[in-house]
Order: sequence, then C-alpha cells, then structure tokens
Amino acid sequence: MAVEIHAIPGARFMDPSVLARIGNLELVSRAVVDGFINGLHKTPYFGASVDFAEHRGYVPGDDIRRLDWKLWARTDRYYIKEYEAESNMNFSVLLDASKSMDYGSKGITKFDYARILTACLTNLVHHQRDRVGFVAFDTEILEHVPPSAKHMETVLHVLDRLKPGRPGQLSEPLHKLAEHFGRRGVIVLISDLYEDPEAIVDAVSPLRFRGNDLIVFHVLDPTELEFGFSDAQPFEDLESGEQMPVVPEAFREEYRSLVRAHIDALTQAFSSVRVDYELLDTSKPLDYALFRYLSVRSKMMKTRF
Amino acid sequence: MQFIAPLFFAALAGLAIPVLLHLTQREKKQIIRFPSLMFVRRIPYQSVRRRKIQHWLLLLVRVSALALIIFAFARPFIRQSNMPIVPGTGARELVVLLDTSYSMGFADRWDRARAAAQAQIAKMSGSDRGSIVLFSSGADIAVRASMDHSPLSAAIAAAKPGAGATRYAPALKVAGGILAETTLPRREVVLISDFQRGGWRGEEGIRLPQGTTVTPIAIGGSEDQVNVGVTAVSLARSTFSDQERVTVTAGLTNHSIKPVSSGTLTLDVNGIKHGTKPVQLEAGGTAQVEFEPVLVGNRNTKATVTLSPDALAADNTFNFVISPTEPVRVTVIDRGAGDAGLYLARALAVGEAPRFEVVTRLADNLPEDDLRRSAAVVLNDVVVSSPLARRLSRYVEQGGGLFVATGQRANWPADVDLLPGVVGDPVDRTRGDAARVGALEFAHPVFEPFRAPRSGNFATVPIYQYRKVTPAKDGQVLAKFDGTAPAVIERRVGNGRVLLWASALDTSWSELPTRGVFVPFIHQSMRYLAQYSEPRPWLNVGQVLDASTAALKKDAAQRIVLTPSGKRVPLQDEGSEVMELTEAGFYELRRASDKDVVVVAANVDPAEGDLTTIDPKLIAAAAIGGTGGDATASKGPEIPLTPEAQERSQRLWWYLLVGGLLLLGADTLMSNRLAKT
Repeated sequence: MAVEIHAIPGARFMDPSVLARIGNLELVSRAVVDGFINGLHKTPYFGASVDFAEHRGYVPGDDIRRLDWKLWARTDRYYIKEYEAESNMNFSVLLDASKSMDYGSKGITKFDYARILTACLTNLVHHQRDRVGFVAFDTEILEHVPPSAKHMETVLHVLDRLKPGRPGQLSEPLHKLAEHFGRRGVIVLISDLYEDPEAIVDAVSPLRFRGNDLIVFHVLDPTELEFGFSDAQPFEDLESGEQMPVVPEAFREEYRSLVRAHIDALTQAFSSVRVDYELLDTSKPLDYALFRYLSVRSKMMKTRF
Repeated sequence: MQFIAPLFFAALAGLAIPVLLHLTQREKKQIIRFPSLMFVRRIPYQSVRRRKIQHWLLLLVRVSALALIIFAFARPFIRQSNMPIVPGTGARELVVLLDTSYSMGFADRWDRARAAAQAQIAKMSGSDRGSIVLFSSGADIAVRASMDHSPLSAAIAAAKPGAGATRYAPALKVAGGILAETTLPRREVVLISDFQRGGWRGEEGIRLPQGTTVTPIAIGGSEDQVNVGVTAVSLARSTFSDQERVTVTAGLTNHSIKPVSSGTLTLDVNGIKHGTKPVQLEAGGTAQVEFEPVLVGNRNTKATVTLSPDALAADNTFNFVISPTEPVRVTVIDRGAGDAGLYLARALAVGEAPRFEVVTRLADNLPEDDLRRSAAVVLNDVVVSSPLARRLSRYVEQGGGLFVATGQRANWPADVDLLPGVVGDPVDRTRGDAARVGALEFAHPVFEPFRAPRSGNFATVPIYQYRKVTPAKDGQVLAKFDGTAPAVIERRVGNGRVLLWASALDTSWSELPTRGVFVPFIHQSMRYLAQYSEPRPWLNVGQVLDASTAALKKDAAQRIVLTPSGKRVPLQDEGSEVMELTEAGFYELRRASDKDVVVVAANVDPAEGDLTTIDPKLIAAAAIGGTGGDATASKGPEIPLTPEAQERSQRLWWYLLVGGLLLLGADTLMSNRLAKT
C-alpha cells in the first residue's frame, strides 16, 4: 500500500499561529501529519488488514509476494491485491468547546490550537486505519461523531464549524460519554482544565472503566502560564463574565505558583489513575502532541501484537 | 531675589494636583478577557493607588511647568544693587559731585575744585560714562551718564558757586540713583567739596549701591585769609515825635584765624548809604555794630549791611526789610457810658508789638466800614441785636476775631449761633470766697505767656460775679472758675475765632483789670483773634517764600515774583504758592498791577561761612556703609529706580513664563507618546 506524501517541508515545526491562518483544517492536518510521518522513517501500516479492497497495477518496487497470481494467470498482467485495512482501535477526541478555550494572546486561541491538534490526530489516525470519533462538549455534549474509519471528513467538517460560546464543565458531559465508549480504544481529552484537580479526575476516571486509554492534553496559552500583564486593569472571566480589578505586578509570582501547583496536582492525580497527561503550550509546535499520541498507540499495539 | 506678588506662592499648593493625578491615575479601562479568574484573586485598587507613580519624567515636567508659571506670576525681580559687581575691572560709571555752595567761593577754592573735576573727566576711558552733579543744599544733575567728554567739561566750566549751603545727603542720594541704574561693572563717586562740618548731619540714611567706590577730593587751604561774615541783624523800634525809628544792630563773626582791625561795615537803606562803622575783630571773635536810628517811612524799605571785602564775599552782605509797624485795628463795642471800657482801652493803648488801634462804637451804631477794617471786635458787656449778631457772624466767618465779655448786661440773640456757649444767669460770689480762675490751657496761645513760673497767676485774681455759660459742642474751654464753671471759651467759626470771657472787663465784677495779668491777657487775646504774626525782616536761601501768607494773601489775582537776578517768575494761585529762595538779595512779590509790592530779603545761610571741616572719609564711609574711604559697600538702602530700570530688573518673569509654557508643550508631546504606547 502506497502512502501519498504531500509533505510541506517543516510544516510540523510551524508556529501554530501560522497554521491557524490557513483555515482549511484538512490541508493543515495533512501538512502536519504527512510531514510528521515523513520524518519518522518508517510506516506504521505493516500487514494490518486481511479484507480485500481492490486490485491495482504493479509498479516496480511492489512486494511480489502480494501479486495476484490467479489474476495473472487469467489476464497475463501483474496486479497487486490491496486489502482493506482492519481498524482494530477506536480513536475519539473529546474537545472542550467551552468559552474559556476561546482565548489566545499569540495569534492563536487555545480552541484553534485544539482544533488543529484534533484534525492532525484525526488525520494521523485515519492514515493508520483506526476508527475516528469526535465529541465536543461544554456543559453538555455539543457534537458527537461516533468512531468510524470513514468519519474523518465528518470530523473535520464538524471541527470546522464548531465555535466555543458557553461556559464549560467536565463532569456531567464526561460521565455521560463514559457510557458510550463500550469498545476499547484511545480517548484524547483536550481541555484547559479550569476546575479543581480532584473534580477533573473524578470526571475523567469513568472514561477508563472500559479499558480505554486516555490521553489528556491540557492546553494553555503562554499568558495563562506566565501572566505577563503589566498594567493594573480589570479582568473579565470569559465564561462567567465576572470582572475584577487586578494588579498583575503585585500578583504575578503568586499566580505562577498557583498555576504550577495546579499542574503538579493534575500530573499527580492523573498519574495515580494511569491517565497520560500532557501540558500543551499553544506557542509550541504540534508535533510534540503527535509524538505523545504515537507513543501511547505504540504501547497499545505492542499490547495487541 | 525678591517678589512683587509673593501671594501667588499660595498657588504652589496646586503642585500637588499633578502628583495626585499621577498617584490616582486610573489605567485605561480596557478590560482584559481572561479564560478563568480561578487563580486571580481580588486586589482592591485603593491599596495600590497611592504608591504607584509610573511616569516620573512626565510628573517632573508637569510640576516644573506649574512651578515656573507660579514663579512668573509672583513677579521675581533682582535689585541691581544686589547684582554682583567685580570691582577694578571693566568700564566705570563715574559720578562727579561738585560742591557749588557759596563757601566754595572762598579764595581760589572754586578754581581748584573745577580743575579737580576736569581732571576726573580727563581720566575717563572710552567706555566709561560720566555724570556731573552740582550740589549745595540741593542737588541737580548737570549731565547724566555721558560717554562724551565735551558736555561734561562744559557743565563744569559753566558751573559757579551759588548762594546755597552745603548738604551732602541730597547729592549722595542723586549719585546713588544714577549708579543704581547703571549696567557698567564699576561704580565710582568722586566728591569734590570743601567738606564743611555743617554740611553733614551724621548718618542720614545714605547708602550707595554695592561695590561703589567713593573718592573724596577735599578743596581746602587758604585758612589764613580773612573771613568775616554778618550773621544777623536786630531791629530795635522806637517812636520819637510820632515817628517810628529803627535802630539796626549787626552781628559779626570772624571765622578766620587772623584778627581784623581795619574792616568797615556799611548800612545802606534804599540804596543810600546810611552809615559806616569800623570793624575790629579778634580771631574767631564776634562783635555787634550798632548804627544810628533809621527813620521808618514807607513799607518794604530795603536795607543792607555790607562788610569790607574779604576772602569769602557771599557772607559779607546782609539784606533785610524795614517796614513801619502795622497796628492791629480793634473795634470795641460798649454801651458808651461810664468807665466800662476804660481798662480795656488803657490796656490796648500800651501795646507796641503790635500796636493796637482802638475804635469804640455803640452797639446800634457800627458802620460797616469799621467792621470790615477791624482785625478784632470786642463786645464789652452789651446787648446785641439780631441784625448786629448776624453781621458779626458773617464777619467772623470771613476771618475776623470776636471777643465777648459777659457782664451784667450782656445778651446775645438765640437765633444766631456764633458764641462758644450759651450765656446764662449771673453767679454771685460776693459772699464767701470769691471765684478764682484756674485750669488754664497753657498750650493755647492766649495763655502760653503765663506758662512759666512767676509769669502771671490768674489764681490770685478774685472774681466776684460771673455768668454761667454752657459750652457749645465745638466750644473749647480754656479756663475755668474754681476748676468747674467755664471762664474762657473759644470757638472757631469759618475762618475766624471767637473768645468768650464769662465776666466783665471792668472792676464791677472782678479785680482782673487791676491785676498784672490783665494787660497781657488782653494783648494775647487780640493778637490771637487778629491772627497777628510779626513780619520777618529776612529769610535764608533755601527757605521757601510762602506767597499765601504774605501780605498779598487776600488778592487772588495773578502774582509775580521778581528775583534778585531780575527774573520774573509768575506764581499760580494754586499749587505753587511757595517758592524756594535760591539767591541772596531782595525778592519782590507783586500783583500784575504792580501795586502793593511785598519785598522779602534773602540772605545766605550764615552757618556756611564757618569753614570748619570734617574728615572726608567719614562721609565716604557712611555713604558706602564701610569703615574706610574705598571700602566695598555693604547692602545698600532702597534706592528708587526709574521705571525703565525697574522693568529691566523685573523682566525675569517673562523668561519663567516662556519656560513654563515650553514645558507644558513638552508635557503634551510626552503624554501623546505615552498614550500611543
């Protein structure tokens, strides 16, 4: 099976803010994922399926073991038998579409970053013939695309028109979703996790009950990490609309320590429930997240084979 | 540095405004939308407002701009006398003070003084400026701040000694005024004088501007030459064969160290030599020379005593005026019977200085002409009708004097308000102790001669009856019976005066007419009521001729003064009725019609003839506030500046204001730039 490579050199190292300007999620995801795969120097598709899909003409370099000799006998031409890849894994992205995700200080919002990341993962997974699913939620489930090998386009379409607009909450929608993930697979949760660590773990833990592997991408803007404001200004909570006067200079260090404590607590809590947790800074390229995903998948593949 | 309007400094409190603005400045209300305020705690603005000033440079610019503008409004100025002067370098502002008092005419002093002044002018460099100030009792600027030597030399050449006495203070003040306005770095005063002791009266509050150098040049010498002066004359009047005579006695002083043995003194009357007397005087001695009596004929007779020539001519001549004594006309109104007016008439008849010309009239027969010509009227215990009372009231308002003696019959109509009190019933003190006059107002001219001990005692005079008088509001009680009842009351009405004696002027009610105090009391009362003052036979140069009090005072027509040098100076009726006498000789004050000439004699100040000197360094040190002649001056007195100089010294506000406005412009630029960032 040949792999179409339309890599844009260095796309995976592109600044996410540049990628965000492209707009076409499919193009973006292909650019990133193809480039990413191109850089791996190996393909993850060896012998993954036994279902016949179609014939195609032999081209030099094809494995002669996959020649359809019977057809050669009838037609005197070399054909390669192509098989439908067997998806042996469900892959679902749970995207937090709450209003707090609609924040960005460096040209790209956390939501756009999450969308690109989702698209890239979807694309990547689609190339691996896994089944792709997608869920968007805030306080309730906004979009739900069941996992399927043919749903990549749907997912990208849903992603494309999705806009964050309401306050979010993890526990209620995730508890509902936990009941739907009956088949073992990989679940990726992308959120900014603005809740108490205990509440987050309580919300996330049910997703693992059916043996799913869960990856939590904690997406934060650099400003949320560094709190690089200088002038005293009123701040408004994107979700609640609450305003309060803030003097950042007097508060910065304490804020950073609070955020670090929050991240540490999440790391500790997810580790205790065997959930992969990764903090993503929207100013950093996407490949780091993709690597993280692949490492998890390879771990699962090793388990399967 | 001083300030014209220091109250504007109260506006410095306004400097707090930009500081408060910077402290309380709320940042722009640009709301930052943040994903979650979970970690953001509330911090109230108040806790940090007052400790944060972010734009220190902007604050500094604003505060500086306000401060400069406030300073500009406070109008700072720098006294030129406070400006630092570097002595010994640069161009000079030279003021030559040249003494032109008449003592400079002694021997060859004037020639040497002029030569010294010319030498100072010749020393001036091209960048120096010079002024010539001629001074005696006053100071005149002959040439002011000229760099050209020609006018300076010409002014010195044209100057000559006058008739004034030496006074250093006015000259130093004028010099201070010139030096205070100068912009030249060096200030110098050259004082050329004979430095008579009489010209300096101590400190006199003179201070020249800081850095001024005073160079005194004493013109002395020739002390061995004879200098005799006429210091005064006395006129002794006498009457012989109904003709008034005056005996002239001249006082002489020999100021020199040489005796005088062959001098002469001549008396001229109306230009005709009356007599010549030999003069013999010891060194530093004085003498009096008496001439034969002069028959007094016309008024304003010019008389002069003249010494034989000596080294100082100005004080050898003494001018004076001889006039017959002018009698004071007194009209006595009595009842025309008995001896009621006897004592009064006798008392007035013995007066010589002045003489009293008494006219006696009845109350119902007082010609208007008599009233008009009278300097004083005496109502000697008569009943006064209303028409007469009104005539007397008009007479007093026009400047006449009225003496009212209230005996048994005295009565005054109630409808005419003239007397200093309401005359009541008689008080009989014939039984028991008689009343005594006491509580005299010795400060009043009427009783002033009785002030000294043993000069008349009213308390010894028994008063047996008197009229009870209730003083008017404006009546002044000058004496009281037994210290309670008014005895003598005065009231001023219009230009005239009224005196009321609450008893009689004969012996029916008191023994006053027979006592020694009676005659001086009557004389003083008449002199006071007639507003009599003795004419002065002469005045000194430097004194003023007051035309309003001269003999022509009642004539409002234009008057002319003819000076000894022949100048005709018109006197206006208002404003310039006084004229300073600047020449020795005879001034004639006359009307335009050339009738009734009043002659005023003017003499040089005899004290100027005393050539005793003072150490010039004392004057120089006092002028610059130091201890030596060339000492650097301390802080000087406030010397009035010309408007131009004042404006120059106050110009600082303009620069401050411009600086403040420029800073405000910079503030605008900086604010805009900060707003954009």
